[in-house]
Amino acid sequence: MRCKYACGSHESLTRRAFLGGTAAGALSMLGFGGMTQVDAAKKLASQQKQVVVFWLSGGVSQLETWDPKPGVETGGPFQAISTSAPGVQISELLPYTAQQMHHLALVRGINTKENDHGKGAYIMQTGRKKQPGFAYPYLGSTFSHHLSPPNSPLPGYISVGVGGSSAESTFLGPRHAPLVLSNGKAPSNLGLHSSMTADRDKLRRSLRHKFSQRFEQKRRTAHTEVYNESFDQAAALMARRDIFDFSHFSDKDVERYGKHDFGRHCLMARQLIEKGVTFVKVGHTNYDTHSENFNFHIEQLGEFDKPFATFISDLYDRGLLEHTLIICMCEFGRTPRINQRVGRDHWGTAWSVALGGTGIKGGAVSGKTNETGTKVIDREVNGGHLFHTYYQAVGLDSTEEFYPNGQPIAKADPQTEPIKEILA
Amino acid sequence: MFWTNMRVYVLLLVVFLSHALFAQSQPAVAATIPEPPLVAKKPVLPAAKPLHRIIDQQIQQGHKDYQKLSSVRCSDSEFLRRVTLDLTGRIPSIEQTRAFLTEKRPEKRTILVDQLLGSPEYARHISQQLDVTLMERLRKKYIDVGAWEEFLRQSVAENKPLDQMVREILSADGSKKEDLAAARFYLARDGDVNELTRDISRIFLGADLTCAQCHDHPDVNDWKQDHYYGISAFLVRSFVFKDKKKKQTVFAEKAEGEVKFESVFEVRDKTSKGPETTLPVVFNGSKVPEPAFKKGEEYKVKPAKDVRPVPKYSRREQLGAAITSPENRRFARTMSNRLWAMVMGRGIVHPLDADHSENPPSHPELLDTLTDQMMAHQFDLKWYLRELVLSETYQRSSANDLFNSKDAEELDDSKFTHAILKPLTPEQFAWAVLEATGQAAVYRNSLKKKLTEESLRKKLVGYERQFVSLFGGLPGKPVEGFEATADQILYLSNNQAIQGILSARAGNTAGRVLKVPVEQPEKAAEELYLSVLNRHPDQAETKEIVSLLAGKTGKERSDLVSDLIWALVMSSEFRFNH
Repeated sequence: MRCKYACGSHESLTRRAFLGGTAAGALSMLGFGGMTQVDAAKKLASQQKQVVVFWLSGGVSQLETWDPKPGVETGGPFQAISTSAPGVQISELLPYTAQQMHHLALVRGINTKENDHGKGAYIMQTGRKKQPGFAYPYLGSTFSHHLSPPNSPLPGYISVGVGGSSAESTFLGPRHAPLVLSNGKAPSNLGLHSSMTADRDKLRRSLRHKFSQRFEQKRRTAHTEVYNESFDQAAALMARRDIFDFSHFSDKDVERYGKHDFGRHCLMARQLIEKGVTFVKVGHTNYDTHSENFNFHIEQLGEFDKPFATFISDLYDRGLLEHTLIICMCEFGRTPRINQRVGRDHWGTAWSVALGGTGIKGGAVSGKTNETGTKVIDREVNGGHLFHTYYQAVGLDSTEEFYPNGQPIAKADPQTEPIKEILA
Repeated sequence: MFWTNMRVYVLLLVVFLSHALFAQSQPAVAATIPEPPLVAKKPVLPAAKPLHRIIDQQIQQGHKDYQKLSSVRCSDSEFLRRVTLDLTGRIPSIEQTRAFLTEKRPEKRTILVDQLLGSPEYARHISQQLDVTLMERLRKKYIDVGAWEEFLRQSVAENKPLDQMVREILSADGSKKEDLAAARFYLARDGDVNELTRDISRIFLGADLTCAQCHDHPDVNDWKQDHYYGISAFLVRSFVFKDKKKKQTVFAEKAEGEVKFESVFEVRDKTSKGPETTLPVVFNGSKVPEPAFKKGEEYKVKPAKDVRPVPKYSRREQLGAAITSPENRRFARTMSNRLWAMVMGRGIVHPLDADHSENPPSHPELLDTLTDQMMAHQFDLKWYLRELVLSETYQRSSANDLFNSKDAEELDDSKFTHAILKPLTPEQFAWAVLEATGQAAVYRNSLKKKLTEESLRKKLVGYERQFVSLFGGLPGKPVEGFEATADQILYLSNNQAIQGILSARAGNTAGRVLKVPVEQPEKAAEELYLSVLNRHPDQAETKEIVSLLAGKTGKERSDLVSDLIWALVMSSEFRFNH
């Protein structure tokens, strides 16, 4: 009998297998940095799919973004506007995004039945309901695992401006845990200490290698190999620290993206995608608008709209959108009912997510809510459907199981299926 | 074999009968017949033969070619480094190394072991190991972590029996001042019944029952849903209560509440009319019966708003006794196996949390002996660890010529033919680095008369914390296998904290090496190797250092010495206890 439910036995297996498989030969990849940017980009385009998640922390209002309901009591004060996708209207708070709508698809029929921030975030980032005793990896770790080239010296999952926990990768191991660039800073200790020169560093590394080899004769070497590989990985990361050099954005770009953290983080994300990082998460906060929902959304979306749209258009212009999946989501939507403080509360019952880029049919819309937005009336989907869709958009069979450590794990909830109508 | 089994069956019968008699007034109990409990066999104490001899005998008997395959007895320097790390959590200082290597008494290893076991560092290190086992580096929640650590350290220092320590932890609800620290086990897990059930069965019973939460375990026939909910039943009435008046958070309990469960796959019993309930029970043992109270009379303190209820009968209070009861051999067996793995690098049952019939122990008879002796010696931790490290099995070299030949496949770790390489724990690694670079020596000198284990630790604990945060794995996860990540190496390679302690200063390793006259480079090589790797360099190694140092003076020489220390500290020989 196959265990269809999430059992911890998967976790109890060693994570050694991942480390062994990923780090070997990292040194040989050092040559990668020497390729011209165009070559590198071409190579990536032909082989590697990438993913960017925009995480609107707190729960953005679907009514003020992807599923506006102007003119009804629950609709709020904003109008709907036409977009570059024929027949698709979104909130007037997203005028720049509206011009990129032909790259984006909307899923308006989401019902995750979850109004708790933590649990909702878990569903949206793992495709599963939280179960005690078992932890699925978050999608950053999952896609890092599935999509990163095996010998890549680059971290597979980088999180910008939204935090991230090493626990996200669970049984996939630390190789796929998020590298968190908090406040737009490169990882620590990437550069040599001021007292050290490159030559000295090279010498001490080669001595270390020699001493280790001597010890490893006549001994079992499973662990020592992993240890030696981590030195190679670190050297590779140091050699590619250019991907974390965010000091060279042009004034024009800084202007286009906006001189605020989110604008800068979007620029960083663009660079990370250009340089070949598999999965990037960019955060924008805080949408938890229990009071003053409309003023807050004017402010928040006013900051979000332009850099988000610019990011999509830049990726398209550079040919990167062809192999990059974009997901704009959060933990849940907001109540159609407007509360006494002119706020909207948590609402996982009928809300929207936007997708774009590779594998996605630009301008497509799936699902429909009723007139007041309180209920999904057509094509109801949940986190599982979305996960199937993500997988298929990047060309992976979501109905297969994967075997991270010899145990079968369903990529996405087998009770659900992809949202085919938005897949290209 | 038959007679052994017979004895168990007779015992079982007694258990069943007493159960059945009692059950007359307890219909809930009579409804389910427990499976054969893991009843304690009466420990058979061998006449005067010390455990470490029995260990060697049974390990050697465990494999027909053992003599041919096993490594030689390890050298004094290998033993010194290994046992110092295992019992005190750091490598020996250069003075200790020199003293031990020149010591001539034949029983010097035993003398060393007893010295280490008597040191304050023993209590610190072993309690840290216990802490990681019990708390899996969970962060602070409600209870002060320092107080908890001190509770463990004190317990190990006074060699409190392990079963008693576990009973204290499992009975602590945090309501009394004296058990506040021990309540961390429950409270750091926020009293979550499923999390606690999983952790208690895994840590104390060697059974990862997670899969048995929703159905009988799909991979392990021994593990049933009943086992999971038997443990849950002890905890189901407990909850975290924030006492506003006393400004404390405690693990409180109600007088009612049953676990209810059914398989998500199938109805196990066709006559069943829905979810089953169970009384508390540890694995296949007997169910813990409970007194019945008239309605309305179940409480000493009745539940009310902002009031901590106190039931007349506490289910949770029974948990510690039930887990550590002599009837439950699983506890002694799991603890014996865990401590064995800590010292030997691998469990006799391995993985440690997979003790079931389809994953038999590598040396079943030995595990039985260890369990018996653990119980017979009243869970005496110090005695047990002493016996393990005095065994020849422990004292084998990690090197084995056969690793380079075809026979290497036969050198499976489970045969204990050689010492298994053990990655240093984050704490061991930190303190080993501080000792090897001479940073610890600098602080020992500066503390002079005020030098104690505690005062030195206070000075250097910042390093330990950095290592733990980088090497300590994920909170709430058992440490498995060995992980090495790039960010750890970036820290070791480029961070100021490490780079800073490598450069020469009075009394540290680089300082001492640079003080050796330039015309005696062999002595410099010796100083380096004794300080970092606790052994003399061999001829080739001496030659290598001599030729590297040749002609280097001034800054060039001091840079090179720092780089050599770094390279030795970062070598595999240093990273693993071998």
